[in-house]
Amino acid sequence: MSCQEMVDLLLDFVGGEITPEQRAMIEQHLCGCPPCVRHVEEYSLTIRVTRLLPKNDPLPPAFEQRLWAALAAESERGA
Amino acid sequence: MTPQPDPTPTTDLPPPSPEQVFREYAPRIYNLARRMLGNDADAEDVTQDVLVQVVRKLHTFRGDAQLPTWLHRVTVNAALAHREKRANRQKRESVTGDDEALEAIAADPPTAGVRLPRPGIEATPDENILAAEQRAVIERAIAKLPEGFREVYVLADVEGLPNAEIADMLNLSVAAVKSRLHRARERMRVLLAPHFEEALT
Repeated sequence: MSCQEMVDLLLDFVGGEITPEQRAMIEQHLCGCPPCVRHVEEYSLTIRVTRLLPKNDPLPPAFEQRLWAALAAESERGA
Repeated sequence: MTPQPDPTPTTDLPPPSPEQVFREYAPRIYNLARRMLGNDADAEDVTQDVLVQVVRKLHTFRGDAQLPTWLHRVTVNAALAHREKRANRQKRESVTGDDEALEAIAADPPTAGVRLPRPGIEATPDENILAAEQRAVIERAIAKLPEGFREVYVLADVEGLPNAEIADMLNLSVAAVKSRLHRARERMRVLLAPHFEEALT
């Protein structure tokens, strides 16, 4: 397996969506290729840290006020 | 086309109030829109559009079990529509050109390293909090992703949606989603690795 073939399989590798044969080939490649080991580490870390981003950060205060006013007006129109 | 909420009641609960929707969902919608669009002003427009739609349709919801999924879809659609409108006003970044740029990055030889492979992506407990500076680095890197790749990355790696659901939302094949996601991750890897050396050594 070449370095490029290994990289092409990375998404499925980290997602656990490869066959046992593919996994064995990747692991064999990684045993003799420190740069690809580093590549896998960086790729996995990228996913890991991105998943830590907060999804519910508070709204900017000025926008929060404008938004609430707009929704209250919309709600009254519909009432 | 804006997806319509399923009119079939899923519970006997009354529909949520506008205030409930505002408190519980506005930050989530805003954060998703901001990351998809890459700027605050557009995210504010989209958040307001989406929440006004929700308030108009609140009477069709019984309980809020179906609301989060519906909101996700409506937010994605509204963000994409907003971006298209914006693109009519300014020259749109070419996905083809960006694709080549991403290819070039993907073709970069990996940098040297000597450690054993660790493909797992689960965070250990002491890695669960990002420093403000690290967070800013990740947010800036996401904003640098080209359109077409950024939304796939955000939906997959920030929002944690499965590839099939993203494909459905963006009207792409699963193969296209996986291809874009892989290229986006490769670009993110190049942008982030220098800032996370400590975690890599």
